[in-house]
Amino acid sequence: MGYVWLIPVLPLLSFLIILFTRPVIYKKAGIVGTLFSGAAFVGSLIVLFSHFQEGNYLVEANWLSIDAITLTVGFEVNPLNALMLVIVTLVSFLVHMYSIGYMEDDERIATFFAYLGLFTFSMTALVMSPNLLQIYFFWELVGVCSFLLVGFYFYKPEAKAAAKKAFIVTRIGDVGLLVAIFLLYWQAGTLELDGIFSAAESGAITPTMITIIAILIFVGAVGKSGQFPLHTWLPDAMEGPTPVSALIHAATMVAAGVYLVAVMFPLFLASEAAMTTVAITGGVTAIFAATIALVQNDIKRILAYSTISQLGYMMLALGTAGYTAAVFHLTTHAFFKALLFLAAGSVIHAAHEQNILKLGGLGKKLKGTALLFLLGSLALSGFPLFSGFFSKDEILASAFSDERYILFGLALFTAFLTSFYMFRLYFLVFAGEGKGGAKESPRTMLIPMAVLAVLAVFSGFIQTHWFGTFLGDWLETTPYPVIFSSVEAPLWIPILASALSIGGIALAWLMYVKQSVPHNWLYGSIKEVHQVLDRKYYIDEIYQGVFVKGLFVFSYFWSYFDRFIVEGTAAAMRGVVTQLGKTGVKVQSGQVQTYGAVAFSGLVIVLLVIAALGGYFQ
Amino acid sequence: MDMSTLMQFNWGSMMPEFIILITAVALSLIDLFMNKKKDRTMLVWIALTGVGLALIFLFLQFDNGVVSILNETYRLDSFAKAFKLLMLIGTGLVLLLGLPAPDELKQVRGEYYYLILTALLGGMMMASSADLITLFVGLELLSLSSYILVGIRKTNHFANEAAFKYLVSGGIATAITLFGMSYLYGLSGETNLYAIQSAMTGDIVADNRFLVVFAFLMIFIGLVFKIAAAPFHMWAPDVYQGAETPITAFLSVVSKTAGFAIILRVLMVPFVFAPGTGKVITPDGMSYESLLVSVRPYIGIIAILTILIGNLIALRQLNAKRLFAYSSIAHAGYLLIPFAALSEMVFEVVWFYLMAYLLMNIGAFAVIHAVTKETEDVTIASFAGMFRRSPFIGIAMTIFLLSLAGIPFTAGFIGKFEIFMSALGTEPKRYFLTGAMLLGTVLSYVYYFGLLVQIYFRPTDKKPITVSGGITAVLTIAATATLVLGIFPSTALTFIQDYFHFMEMFNR
Repeated sequence: MGYVWLIPVLPLLSFLIILFTRPVIYKKAGIVGTLFSGAAFVGSLIVLFSHFQEGNYLVEANWLSIDAITLTVGFEVNPLNALMLVIVTLVSFLVHMYSIGYMEDDERIATFFAYLGLFTFSMTALVMSPNLLQIYFFWELVGVCSFLLVGFYFYKPEAKAAAKKAFIVTRIGDVGLLVAIFLLYWQAGTLELDGIFSAAESGAITPTMITIIAILIFVGAVGKSGQFPLHTWLPDAMEGPTPVSALIHAATMVAAGVYLVAVMFPLFLASEAAMTTVAITGGVTAIFAATIALVQNDIKRILAYSTISQLGYMMLALGTAGYTAAVFHLTTHAFFKALLFLAAGSVIHAAHEQNILKLGGLGKKLKGTALLFLLGSLALSGFPLFSGFFSKDEILASAFSDERYILFGLALFTAFLTSFYMFRLYFLVFAGEGKGGAKESPRTMLIPMAVLAVLAVFSGFIQTHWFGTFLGDWLETTPYPVIFSSVEAPLWIPILASALSIGGIALAWLMYVKQSVPHNWLYGSIKEVHQVLDRKYYIDEIYQGVFVKGLFVFSYFWSYFDRFIVEGTAAAMRGVVTQLGKTGVKVQSGQVQTYGAVAFSGLVIVLLVIAALGGYFQ
Repeated sequence: MDMSTLMQFNWGSMMPEFIILITAVALSLIDLFMNKKKDRTMLVWIALTGVGLALIFLFLQFDNGVVSILNETYRLDSFAKAFKLLMLIGTGLVLLLGLPAPDELKQVRGEYYYLILTALLGGMMMASSADLITLFVGLELLSLSSYILVGIRKTNHFANEAAFKYLVSGGIATAITLFGMSYLYGLSGETNLYAIQSAMTGDIVADNRFLVVFAFLMIFIGLVFKIAAAPFHMWAPDVYQGAETPITAFLSVVSKTAGFAIILRVLMVPFVFAPGTGKVITPDGMSYESLLVSVRPYIGIIAILTILIGNLIALRQLNAKRLFAYSSIAHAGYLLIPFAALSEMVFEVVWFYLMAYLLMNIGAFAVIHAVTKETEDVTIASFAGMFRRSPFIGIAMTIFLLSLAGIPFTAGFIGKFEIFMSALGTEPKRYFLTGAMLLGTVLSYVYYFGLLVQIYFRPTDKKPITVSGGITAVLTIAATATLVLGIFPSTALTFIQDYFHFMEMFNR
């Protein structure tokens, strides 16, 4: 496992090679990128299997030590990050391959693959970091990659705005994380994870401080994982190319928030308040985003809200001590959501349309895509025996056994909503009569989707209470003090969840295929509700109102403050700097007499001052 | 002193100096007797070989303890080794930089190379002397050689002006330093630094406390001439502009390193036990605080002024060499901070920063040399579109500029971070010094990033740049080392800890 550092290095090499040979390799960049990310995936598999045999691995070296301050760098392999490595490199590899076809006609295809390489490097390095300094560094770097890729079509004003929004909103969360890191360094005197956990265990950090730190870390996770109330950037980020949405905004980077909470889990376990915050935020986000997804008409936006909702599920699991459940759902979700995005990309690639109301009947023309999309939808809806069924079941059980019954109820209802909006999407796009022509996507796009589909269907069996809790048992070998609560759900929970899932599908079928329930019953019966959902709970408007217009109320005050005090100070500073510079240049007259005079006066002034202050003249 | 005592001295400890001396003498003889029309590139290689040999012998001395010969006037301790290492590396890079391109073989002058070596010899003596007289001789050897080097382009108007200004300013500085030293001699009756150190606790000194303080400040202000700090900074822009670029690099790096060596040696060793101006209450009653504590605010003010002057005036410079002159003034200010803060780690921190500064500054001057060689245009606009003209130079310059600005993962960042943390590690914490440093760093972003804007975003219609092998070598070495020290700083830091025991400087 000594070569585990090669995994991030490979995509970094891909980035550098493509960057420097951009004009030469141009379209071959896709092949280069795919090969390197494929190699990284193979490496991750090797690491995963050697972890089964050799157990945890940690290398650290002093990076910098000044006096008593020592900062270390290193990398580690434990169950959680070995799993993350496999997920990240696998999805990255498949997305690379898919993009060869998807981005074929783009002039900046080489730049695109260079960015993908940089992202894969940052993300793999992030999940291998054994200390918060490295985590923070790569955390910011994946944010930068996300910014670059969301704004990839920078000539579109929406893409530009979305990139900016993504950067700024996640930055709000990052401030929380940064403050938490400073507090931890102050309290624990180290940024290494094991050091932090042992300091927390030994009581070196007060319980109140642990709560504050854990909640601040969670604020960072909320920003990255698009949790309420910092979720607004994620739907807008769909302006980026669809493969990017699959890789960054569905499978990997947005899951980094969940990963961060999982990494810092021992800290969260020590604070009841922090756990409750995580659980409530997750549960509320799950149902909140699911309801918005009901009425969206853009295929990618529906999936984006679904991602927010599913990430909420994972947070709910973490908040109810379901470490295994959260990691499990993170894994299955990465597969089926990446699949759904890639399939959606295939639809967009074929039909050049994203509005599901304008699509339809594509099932006949895009047989492969339709089948793959159906498998992804079933997995996401928690249809029995598909991967999402098992992982969602685990989360429900975790919420139930933690006695958070309200959140449990919300989560159950969310499961129903999920299957409904997914099959609304599916039926509107693929069922019915065809509207306009479409051609099936090339094989480089279908193969990655097929691989993901297999995983979306079968990956649930790594953790079931019928065959064996392989994942949970393996995760328990983590080197950190995580408490695993082994809960077996009462049998009625999976049965009820399945019923709700099938019920949602059935309702969608009745509404959009059979059309025995009118399309607009929600719109028609309760106009206001539909309006609220359509406007996404007015969150953007509220932000506009509270933060933008709210400031407008004070605008007179602020504008005067700004004009006279802030700008005045800035202008004065600028003036002072310029003036000082000018004076300096003027004194520098080129006359050597002046130089001598300045030196002499300097000497005399210093001598006089020390004589006067030191008491020589007394 | 008869012959047998002379033979008993451990002359091996002076081996690096001997090698440099022999090489310089040999070069001057070869130059004298060589056919005037012959190609003189060979001289550069001889000089480089000399420096390389001296480095090897210096490395061989690393495990030795303190050696003191010639009645304690010459002293080989960790401090001397550490600073000689810097000077030899710096000179080696400068010589590489001066390696003539194929089309300029005719212009090679022999005195150019042996004067660099004599200047280096002076610098090495400054690092290794324990006596005011030998220190002064070393200082003058360095200075006189530098004066000639600056004016070596006899027909160039700027060079003449620069040499003249350098000479006059240097003369004033020397006079002030000597005047300060005369007080020191008058009070102690000694020229040996360690003899002075013990005399400082005596009664005569106690009765004349102010004269000691004056002596300290005069020596200090006279010596800051060499490092181009306020108020003796004003020669730097004119001289840097007028001298040939490799010589400018030499002045800004090797000469400055020698300046820090003599400042630390001559001001720390004799004055460490001297009484200052303020009174402190100790268990035994009232006594005077240490002189080094009393003068701290003054050194601090000089450091802050130097930082501000360097950065503020650099903002308005359009000439690249003048800009780097001010930038190098600002860096001298940062380097004075550990001295002003009197942190425990002062030597380690200064040494590391000088190493980082050596690499990034010689690298930057190598780029300036490459860009300005053909055109004689040294405005910052001549950097326009450099990335397109030569991606290699563009990227190398980016690394140097980021390092100079103190951006993470470069040697410059680690150096600044160390200065910063060591100034905050003292009691009381030096908020003013670190604040000035932060302010100066932020100001410096403006002009460093301004250059980056030129390199990447300004259009140009000029041809690609071709560079000589020497410049390519310097750029490669400096850029690699800047990154290595930035990413793996512990390599250098453990090296310092393993080989340099700076505190042995204070013991006789």
